[in-house]
Amino acid sequence: MSHTDSVLTKEKAVDTVTPVKSSRRRIITALAGLSGVAFLSGCATNAPQDTFQPSGPNAQMIDDLNMIVFPIAGVVGVIVLALAGYIFLKFRDRGQAIPAQSHGKPIVEITLTVIPALILTVVGVFTFRTIFDLAETEDTELIINVTGQQWWWEYDYPVQSGIEQPIISSGQLVIPVGAKVLLRETSRDVIHSYWIPALNGKKDAVPGRIHLLRLEADKPGIYAGQCTEFCGLSHANMRMEAVALSKEDFAKWVQGQQKAYTAPAAGTLAAEGETTFINQCSRCHQVNGIKDANGKPIISAPDENVYSGAAPNLSHLMSRNTFAGAMFDLVTEECRADVWEAKPEEFGAKYLKGVSEDCLNQRDLRAWLRNAPAMKPMYADPTNLEKSGGKYRGMPNLGLTEDDIDKLVAYLVTLK
Amino acid sequence: MFTPGSKFFIGLTGLALISAVMYTIFVNPSDIGAYALFGLLLSGGLVSGFSFFTRDGDSDTEAEAVEAAAYSPSPSFWPLVFALGIAVVLLGVATHPIVFVLGIAVLVGGGVEWTIQSWAERASADSEFNSFVRHRAIGALDYPGLAAAGLGVIAYLFSRIMLAASKGGAAVIFMIVAAIIVAYAFMIATKPALRGKSVAMVVTAGALLLAVAGVATAITGERSELAKYAKEDFYSKEHRECGEEEGEHYDHEANNTVSLRSAVLATVFVEDGKVWAEMIGLKQKLDTITVPRSNATNILFRNLDEEDYRLVVNLGTETVAETGVKEKVGTCTQLTGKNQEQVLTLNIPKPSSDEQQYSFVVPGAEGEIKVVVP
Repeated sequence: MSHTDSVLTKEKAVDTVTPVKSSRRRIITALAGLSGVAFLSGCATNAPQDTFQPSGPNAQMIDDLNMIVFPIAGVVGVIVLALAGYIFLKFRDRGQAIPAQSHGKPIVEITLTVIPALILTVVGVFTFRTIFDLAETEDTELIINVTGQQWWWEYDYPVQSGIEQPIISSGQLVIPVGAKVLLRETSRDVIHSYWIPALNGKKDAVPGRIHLLRLEADKPGIYAGQCTEFCGLSHANMRMEAVALSKEDFAKWVQGQQKAYTAPAAGTLAAEGETTFINQCSRCHQVNGIKDANGKPIISAPDENVYSGAAPNLSHLMSRNTFAGAMFDLVTEECRADVWEAKPEEFGAKYLKGVSEDCLNQRDLRAWLRNAPAMKPMYADPTNLEKSGGKYRGMPNLGLTEDDIDKLVAYLVTLK
Repeated sequence: MFTPGSKFFIGLTGLALISAVMYTIFVNPSDIGAYALFGLLLSGGLVSGFSFFTRDGDSDTEAEAVEAAAYSPSPSFWPLVFALGIAVVLLGVATHPIVFVLGIAVLVGGGVEWTIQSWAERASADSEFNSFVRHRAIGALDYPGLAAAGLGVIAYLFSRIMLAASKGGAAVIFMIVAAIIVAYAFMIATKPALRGKSVAMVVTAGALLLAVAGVATAITGERSELAKYAKEDFYSKEHRECGEEEGEHYDHEANNTVSLRSAVLATVFVEDGKVWAEMIGLKQKLDTITVPRSNATNILFRNLDEEDYRLVVNLGTETVAETGVKEKVGTCTQLTGKNQEQVLTLNIPKPSSDEQQYSFVVPGAEGEIKVVVP
């Protein structure tokens, strides 16, 4: 072979091999990049739904279990993958003869059965102990009914020790610090799942069933969560927040929630807003104590308009920090940061101040009143209402004028 | 001209027509006799038509005789099945829809099999090939179809026996039969000598026993309490009694096997003549419970007293649209004996208020549980 032939052959070989190498390199680089991003995401500090930052004994139990199971699973995983990789490479097909086939080695088989059984036994013992500890309800101090529906959570506090009148709320669950709180979960429409990672694991909310979930917070603060069972169009926007207050602050909050309704002073914009609310909103939303011009109590009828049969009760709306299934803040970013980042000893006082006119997030609230389905995907299109018998899933666009919105905002801000 | 055979069937058809008309007018137009006579009319007409057009199967010429003799269908029981199907369909029209559906199944099954067999026999001159095409066309459906029908018959006959036997007796029968089947299956699996004719004999004997017992118990009817409860219809709203009274329409056999135990919101107890409630998850005696609005909610009622009691829920009043009269709204459980329990499922769409108050009461017992709907 001449020198020229040799060069040509080499060039051809390079031409043939380069694309394969190049694509393989690209795949490896992409995988390495993705792995790096995934690894680095674990370093995020502003991660309110981080399962590895427990803030209560129940979440701590799960974290403790993870600390046992994850290393064991990690070591087993590395060993299995390394062995598999070694076998793939060492015994890959290179045209060699098929080795002699044998029945196997009983000693190896028994060993490889006994070792996983022992590992699973150890994991099982810790897992079962944790499951039973998490299911403990005998020492409950406070029970709260939690009802999921598309796409928000309702909280009602039955009459019990410390609560003389029932309380109904949504978006933010308020609990006392250090108290063993028992959530009794159910659903009005489809299956949802309640999860505040810092306080406990997940628990499905199933129509027709009552599922129990224990929560307990170590210190005052707000703990974020997310519905974790796909429940329809706006599942991703079905959020929740658990607010932990000291026992004294919780008692104040209870007192505030049981305060009687005060109608806005006559002749004010808020009073006009009350009328607009009665005409437009009270078909679905209840404000406890509100009366019509004849002094007759207004009773909402969400069962006639909404598929789930319920809409958020807006009594004391401005004592909460969120609206629309905790998707939007009722307070501006600065005011929100002031509450979220407050020191534990200052948190209660800041939260209990509620939403002042200065702090009200007018932008999102107005946009919501202007066209709610544009802010959060909901079944507002009549053609999508056939399956629900003409009833809405979520809030429809009410076609309010800007004047109506001004009046409503002026009224809603009085609901503390 | 009318042939001797067709004359006979035409006469039979005419007689059936007259009898059917007379029977319908003077006896009963819708009982089994009328259906039988009309069935005879139809089948007589059909056969006389066949007989008339085929001249009783006689051939006029030699060519016709040769042609008729050229094809001779093999013996088949499918026409018999088809005819049986017609009879069962007619019987079903007169008696029960299930018999009618069964008749249709037999009719269609027999008809399809007959058609396929007839088609396959003319497929070629080779009988082996014809048998092959027949099996290919319908063979795959024969065994599953027969097995399904057989299982259906077995299940039906066995269910008759179970419904006729007493509660305890049914359990014993079930255990004995299951034990015999398992033991016999084990024996024929382990001892090949027992297979063959002996299995066929045992299975036949078992089938006969089942058939006789099933038919006998089907005629006898369900055990007395089942028949009694079906007759009393105590689940009917018309028989609902929500007071202290103890009418005849209630479930005397109610026990503490409520299956909704894991899905109750609260339990209402009556003990020593007093009523109290307990919410799931909170060990406190309560006189007020909160029920979520617009959601199906189960409330368990447990009677710990000697007397029979029922739980009654008062759901305020409702104005009747037509009359404008306000009527009480509510519902109740049936009477519940000592240590027994029953469940009430409520769905309350409107919140409670001063004007609309809800409560649980137990007629005859002291106390009231206030129901708050937020």
